[in-house]
Amino acid sequence: MRISFPYMGSTIVYKKLFEFLGHEVIMPPKPTQKTMDLGVKYSPEFACIPLKMVMGSYIEAINMGAEVLVTSGGHGPCRAGFYGDTHKLILKNLGYDNVELIILDAPQDNWKAFLQNINKLRNRLPWFKVINRVITLYKFIQKLDELEKLSQKIRPYEIQKGQTTKVWNEILNRFDKIKTKKELENTYLECKRMLEEIPIKKVNENEKIRIGIVGEIYVVMESSINFGIEELLGNLGVEVERALYLSEWVRDNLVPWSLRPKRFKDLIKKGQKYIKILIGGHAVETVGHIIDYKERGFDGIIHLMPFACLPELVTQSLIPKISKEEDIPILSLPIDEQTGKANTQTRIEAFIDLLKNRKKGIKKQLDKNERVVVA
Amino acid sequence: MKIGIPQALLYYYYLPFWERLFTELGFEVYESGLTTKDILDNGSKAAVADICAPIKIYTGHVIDCLNNSDFVFIPRFSSIQKNEYFCPKFMGLPDIIVGTVENSEKKIISPIINDISEDICDPRSYDILIDKFGFSYRELNNALKKANKVFTRFKKLLHNGLSLDKALFSYKQNFWEEYLYSIKKNGEINIAVLGYVYNLYDPFISLDVVKKLEELNVNIFTFEMVNHDDAYKQLSKYRKKLFWTFSNRVLGAGLYYLNNNIIDGMIHVTAFGCGPDAIVGKFLQYECDERSIPFTTLRIDEHTGEGHLVTRIEAFTDMIKRKKAQTLEVKL
Repeated sequence: MRISFPYMGSTIVYKKLFEFLGHEVIMPPKPTQKTMDLGVKYSPEFACIPLKMVMGSYIEAINMGAEVLVTSGGHGPCRAGFYGDTHKLILKNLGYDNVELIILDAPQDNWKAFLQNINKLRNRLPWFKVINRVITLYKFIQKLDELEKLSQKIRPYEIQKGQTTKVWNEILNRFDKIKTKKELENTYLECKRMLEEIPIKKVNENEKIRIGIVGEIYVVMESSINFGIEELLGNLGVEVERALYLSEWVRDNLVPWSLRPKRFKDLIKKGQKYIKILIGGHAVETVGHIIDYKERGFDGIIHLMPFACLPELVTQSLIPKISKEEDIPILSLPIDEQTGKANTQTRIEAFIDLLKNRKKGIKKQLDKNERVVVA
Repeated sequence: MKIGIPQALLYYYYLPFWERLFTELGFEVYESGLTTKDILDNGSKAAVADICAPIKIYTGHVIDCLNNSDFVFIPRFSSIQKNEYFCPKFMGLPDIIVGTVENSEKKIISPIINDISEDICDPRSYDILIDKFGFSYRELNNALKKANKVFTRFKKLLHNGLSLDKALFSYKQNFWEEYLYSIKKNGEINIAVLGYVYNLYDPFISLDVVKKLEELNVNIFTFEMVNHDDAYKQLSKYRKKLFWTFSNRVLGAGLYYLNNNIIDGMIHVTAFGCGPDAIVGKFLQYECDERSIPFTTLRIDEHTGEGHLVTRIEAFTDMIKRKKAQTLEVKL
């Protein structure tokens, strides 16, 4: 089976998954303007941007020869759980009849369908091997995420601009070639050294600006749609942390509720201060992350959402209140096919200036207070 | 004590229930009235820019209620059917209002509706009324039962072919079933006008599209005329149902009308920025295409002008009338 999948974040992970299971993988190209145009053309006008981009990605992958598309389902109330069926309908009407779309819903919704789908995907491998390889893959994602987090701490202070990004691309290349557990360990250590060897300038701890990125998973993780916001912020000298990393998402969402780490449950509890019940998507988590970042001493939050995203609109409605009550600046950016890069860049630069001034202001105030105390 | 019910969103469906419930409990009920330009403007100013028009209107009505009553009733609709939900904006509705309308938090009465049927009379959902006003469980239960009786009678009117605005009228004027006899369906063509109640029956936002179509000699079929089970039976052809109850009802009703050859055309009325409708609309469109039934979408928002709407529905009905006349000629 020639398999392909939606393009989101570190796609080499999905590629590795299907390679481990012995499939031929058609790697969808990184989304470009062409992908977006294709997606926008064939999707419902008021669908959110992830649906449109994935639509475009599918068409590109099919034209490259993909026969099977694998995607996730969901049980609502966010629209994302119905993407698969909508895509299927549109593809059928475009005349791609020979393409199969495998939608993996949560197992507890429909055990039978889930097992059937997994059976199709496992490619006659014995179950113990499948489980073994999935565990290896999980470690693979974890290591990759650790390196990414490290790179985000180094990029803002690099002396030669662009070096971290170069090293990061090299890391992705090397990870792509990994075949066994042993190789993973070695490559990880090598890559870590490569990152640590990047020359950086010293910045005082109290002058560092740190921003947390929260919001809907697709626009947060996929750099081609969010103007490469992490790189953009890094190049402006800002440390970044995303609210969502793939390994954490897997841990928080695919592991049964009772076994999930306490950290995740705490996040939900924090979020429920403002949104009382779970309303689908990432809304409650987003609020939880905002409060969490504030408690961890971050200077500001950037909130990314697709235009007209149902759950995130609830978050957005609450942002002025949260910002005021928790005393943290928040910039909310809705993203769709109309969003321009220059406009966003200006807004982000202004936001960072604000954060810097705010930090200086707080520091000055503290100095003043000290003097008063001394006097 | 005066309790305000914003005349927007599910007001149009549940008014008989809520009104009876609160009068039974001894409240004075305040309704914010029809949407006006002022209400819309206040709502748009307070709400987030990107949110859909119905929520903006709702926000405006809430502001009106806050000014004119002691409390405002903003139920949090989570589910009225097993394994189905409402649009996330309904589930977070009180949170949205608290975030956007200042000083509203203490005045909001917000039960969480988490029921298994659209008769939302499970007393456990209304704990907040017991906590806040000290009603006994028995008082509450009795009031809910009476409210449900009214609501059931009201729904019967709908299933007998009254559109919701007429049913509400007959409820308010206390005509009830007598009003049914005054309704005759003798228009030239049959059109399904599908959309959520708060879009179709708010005359300010829909510009009274239902009435305008009737003036064009059209028989109207809406989703609330198809009863729940008939609508859901149609959905079995899909791999899974939609997540949103009213979207399922709209889609199911559309399929019901199509499969039973009742209609000559379909109009999908949707609000700017409506998420579930982006998917429902696409499904309806393809189903109509398959059967060569004319289909059009009317998208309404706070800027909709009357002129273009009239032109569009006139063109649409003319086209269907001509098509129907032609097929008749061929048959003769």
